[in-house]
Amino acid sequence: MTGNPAPRRHVVSALVVDRPGTLNRVAGLFRARSFNIESLTVGTTLQPGRSRMTVVIRGDEAHLHQVLAQLERLIEVIEVTDLTHSPRVELELALVEVDTPADPAADAALRALVARSGGAVISAESGTLQLRLTAPPHQIEEALEALRAHGLRGLVRAGSVAMATHPPGAQIGASTS
Amino acid sequence: MSALRLPADQPVRATAPAVAPRIGARAVMETLVAGGTSTVFGYPGGAVLPIYDVLREFPIRHVLVRHEQGAAHAADGFSRATGGVGVAMATSGPGAINLVIGLATAMMDSVPMLAITGNVPRALLGRDAFQETDIVGIALPVTKYATVVMDPDEIPLAVAEALEIASSGRPGPVLLDFPKDVLQEETGAPIPGPGDLRLPGLLRPVRGDVPEADELAAMIAAAERPLILSGHGVQIAGAVDLLRQVAERAEIPVAHTLLGIGNIDERHPLSLGYAGMHGWVHVNKAIQRCDLLIGIGCRYDDRITGKTSTFAPNARVVHVDVDRSEIGKNVHTELGIVADAGDLLAALLRRLPQSPRRDAWWSELSPWREMSEARSWHGSGAWREGRLSADYVIEQIGEATDHGATLVSDVGQNQMWAARYFGFRMPYAHLSSGGLGTMGYAVPAAMGAAMGAPERETWAITGDGGFQMTMQELATLVQDQIPVRIAVLNNHRLGMIRQWQEIIYDENYHSADLLGPDLVRLCEAYGIPAFRATRPDQVPGVIAAARAAPGPALIDFHLDEAQNVYPMMLPGKGLSDMVEGADR
Repeated sequence: MTGNPAPRRHVVSALVVDRPGTLNRVAGLFRARSFNIESLTVGTTLQPGRSRMTVVIRGDEAHLHQVLAQLERLIEVIEVTDLTHSPRVELELALVEVDTPADPAADAALRALVARSGGAVISAESGTLQLRLTAPPHQIEEALEALRAHGLRGLVRAGSVAMATHPPGAQIGASTS
Repeated sequence: MSALRLPADQPVRATAPAVAPRIGARAVMETLVAGGTSTVFGYPGGAVLPIYDVLREFPIRHVLVRHEQGAAHAADGFSRATGGVGVAMATSGPGAINLVIGLATAMMDSVPMLAITGNVPRALLGRDAFQETDIVGIALPVTKYATVVMDPDEIPLAVAEALEIASSGRPGPVLLDFPKDVLQEETGAPIPGPGDLRLPGLLRPVRGDVPEADELAAMIAAAERPLILSGHGVQIAGAVDLLRQVAERAEIPVAHTLLGIGNIDERHPLSLGYAGMHGWVHVNKAIQRCDLLIGIGCRYDDRITGKTSTFAPNARVVHVDVDRSEIGKNVHTELGIVADAGDLLAALLRRLPQSPRRDAWWSELSPWREMSEARSWHGSGAWREGRLSADYVIEQIGEATDHGATLVSDVGQNQMWAARYFGFRMPYAHLSSGGLGTMGYAVPAAMGAAMGAPERETWAITGDGGFQMTMQELATLVQDQIPVRIAVLNNHRLGMIRQWQEIIYDENYHSADLLGPDLVRLCEAYGIPAFRATRPDQVPGVIAAARAAPGPALIDFHLDEAQNVYPMMLPGKGLSDMVEGADR
């Protein structure tokens, strides 16, 4: 095994068969090779019976690509694309709960912060505000850091979804060596 | 002479229903028959009884094993000996779980196989019903594919797809789980044709010419010391003849892995021999010295490479495999080619000119070979001094059978002796658990091999340890009169364990001595002719006696207990650091 041991963040998109057991099999492959999945989302696609998974994972490039080749050989997996080095849009949804701002100035600062993160205030009741953030993962991280000052009370993150912009990402295993 | 009472033909149900409904169980068997299944190795149980209730209606021979592990290994042996898809069947829960080691064995060695399990009725799934287990969940990591069939109308398609998945591309085991009521409900679903299968995720190799053969041909032309390391993939692809032709055309010596035994007749002048941890020193030296190493259908696994950082240091490394994920997995390759081994070899043959003899390369290889063969136990000729050595036993079995037998080895010292000393000449004639190293494999797998390839004599070579793991199948051999000859290389110990403890753990022996039964008397109890040899001069006689038996037979060879397998590459070392042992 060669390659840089420094773990790099990878965004992998997989078109899979929508059947019980598919998620188990995909997750099991990463587990067996000791990869920790940072996030994994699954949703339906325009094709009936097909789902798309977006998996965010950290690992050595060569090692990960070997695992992705193994992923591709699963019967339930139709196509695997590593979007890491490709132009792409990548967004994450986060639901956040913070303390209701103590004064109008703080409230304005909070709402400006939320707006910058593609978000909105969803509800406000009994001392807390619930927010929605929709942004690239690093912006979500930055927003959460800033929100700590407002009394962060709750957090639910959806994980990344990603889509290649043109030109599409190279298919896994396009080169054979 | 049989001490076991053979069951007479069982009475058939007096009145069969006038018009038998086409229930799921019948759909399973119909699809199997349509797919070419002739033999099923199985063990009944409550959840799978609907299939047993209809089994007699189909032209399928069912072999009742004594433990489901035996069914799985027998199906594996059947597959390896025939190239077809062996079938094992078991009930839910414990029955299904007992198959798992056989699935994992087949998975590691790319053996096509289908396991059929019954499960509790759909309404009870997930309720911890009697003998319920999530066998699909358990089987996932050790199968190419596993699924539960929840709808009777899905049965024909599921079975046909399972057979296709198991045998296509890089083969492997598939498990299909059927809740009992799915097997009992009626279905009119037709047997699918090849065009009906829905397998969008099945990787099928691109067939035809392999353009990368241009580059490989150029590398061969530029090489002075090329070497082919050939693996199981050559036989899976049915490419043994092409391998020989390419080797002859380009004058390239051919080494083989454990599962690559039979890729080339060992008497062929270009056959170099068995490589790896207990391979021949001259073969490993050739790997370390070659300037071009062409791995075809092998995995470059750790038992072949040793420490990868010191593996083949002078070589440009090429890897040809049908499975893309194997390339670059274990060793760095300069050229990786994803292709069927046969397609690649045919493409090479079209491109390669006839090479002149590589005299300089052979002038290095030949003396190494003479030396390594002379230094082996066999070369030392210990048997001439009256010591019953394993190499002599294996060689004598080879000679008695004109090297034409199917030889199924177990795991450990016996496996390595069989690989080194039998003198293999044909493909599909050496079966062994190479990847998983499953002790207990030999006897049940030999059972399946003997049924799959009855035209060949079948021998199981096992140690006293592995034999005791699955010796319950002796009863199956008797009941079905399966003519397997069992050679137990009995050193009254777990030989490879003792060897490691002797060499690596400073003779700190623990759990290495193994008590076993009197094997001749054990066989008497089963009604199996059995013989014992304690001296070399008895060996030809007992082999002849075992071969003369019409059904199964066993020979208990009491080996010289000091014999180890040499040479040996110590764990963590490289191919250049072979321990050749004391003079013996």
